[in-house]
Amino acid sequence: MHAEVAPLADGLIGFGAPADPIAPAAPTPHAALPALPSATAALLAEAPDFVASREAVRFAKGLGLAATYGVALGARHGGRSFLLHAAFVPSAIVAVAAVGVPALYIALGLLDAPIDHARIASASARAAARTGLVLAGLAPAAALFVVTSAAPGSAALAASAGLFVAGLIGLRSLRAEVSAALEAAPARMRLLAALTTTGFSLFAVALAARIWTSALPLLGGVR
Amino acid sequence: MIGADSAPITPDPSSAAGVLRRLLRAPGDVAVACREDRDTHAIVAVSLVAILVGATVFGGTIGSFRGGRQIPYAAIKLPLAMLATLAISAPAFHALAAGLGRAWPMRAVVALALAAAGRSALVLLAISPVLWLIYDLGLGYHAASLAASLAYGVAGLAALGVVLRGLGEGAGQKLTALAFAGVFFAVGGQASWILRPYLVRPRTEHIPFVRGLEGGFLDSLGRSTRSAAGVYDDDGRIPADRPVDAPKLLDRDSQ
Repeated sequence: MHAEVAPLADGLIGFGAPADPIAPAAPTPHAALPALPSATAALLAEAPDFVASREAVRFAKGLGLAATYGVALGARHGGRSFLLHAAFVPSAIVAVAAVGVPALYIALGLLDAPIDHARIASASARAAARTGLVLAGLAPAAALFVVTSAAPGSAALAASAGLFVAGLIGLRSLRAEVSAALEAAPARMRLLAALTTTGFSLFAVALAARIWTSALPLLGGVR
Repeated sequence: MIGADSAPITPDPSSAAGVLRRLLRAPGDVAVACREDRDTHAIVAVSLVAILVGATVFGGTIGSFRGGRQIPYAAIKLPLAMLATLAISAPAFHALAAGLGRAWPMRAVVALALAAAGRSALVLLAISPVLWLIYDLGLGYHAASLAASLAYGVAGLAALGVVLRGLGEGAGQKLTALAFAGVFFAVGGQASWILRPYLVRPRTEHIPFVRGLEGGFLDSLGRSTRSAAGVYDDDGRIPADRPVDAPKLLDRDSQ
């Protein structure tokens, strides 16, 4: 099944403006149940064609949503901390997209996996949007914990848990889309691609953890 | 006199009585209605009333273990904690459901969460008289605490049934339900921690409406885990500079 999205005149997907459903290019495991029209469904919907500007907007929305989690983390110290956290929470997503995703594309290319740059780019944009959405959803809970936990360690633990869960959901989405694209490929290639995406996932987790722990004041980073 | 040909009274399914009946007897129907955005207003209204009534009565029952002012205190705080938990958890439920393959409108997820909480509150309402009676018969503090926890557990199962049915079959159903439960447990724990105490020993003289933060839910969880493993953060002795009968010490015995 596929989420309903609203195609606009210029081919962009309208955020929160549902209309006729678009048939999916290749359904992924994430499109499991029918969805009522919603802004969320439109944000995460697959489209039959690749439009770079649409994917860029989707990616930017993901970053914006992730920044709200940063604002929630900044509530512990207030003031400049709001801005610092709001800036550095999405920075890990940018870093993974800028450094990790091209490497994943090259590695899959060396394996001769039948997946093009457009598919990787749109899958990455959707993964970023998914991560941002989960972070935004967890923001109120994170604010509760970081403001009301007396021990700094507990606040940091709660903040890290949200970042970890959202990051895993984004990576899960990307892995699922790569797997779906390689469904018709030989078993050996699928296995090698799965190992490659696992390596990418480990790299992404390590990179994001490095950035967040060195940049977010709540996690012991710069103050 | 009821005749053999008298038909059972079935209320309009979208009326308040009809929704209440469905919430108790056909939770799957309510869950699907939430997902499909049908009867949402009625479901939300009935669930909110159920939460308010059920949690207030259950809170008062827990407060009756100590009696006096603790009855209204707990009766006020329990629905507050429950509603605060739902308000904070609902965006997370929405985002987690979307992230794990169910990109539903926020209103559908909120309705589902309220319906689940409403059903669990009805279970708490039903358990309250039994709990009150066993408290009144002189249950000990730890047994009273365990009995309240068991009641919560049964109510939680009733809510879980609605959530699982609402999520429907398909990939990620159990993972999404697990994520919901994790968020609800964590947020509920912290919200309840802020508003504690609820269950207070009868001998306690001074009852605060809420206690100071003194750590948090996660700190408490960590401390309990460490002590379960035999690692104690202190040696259990009362500090020499603190009188034994100080009210603060007695308050520590309450949850």
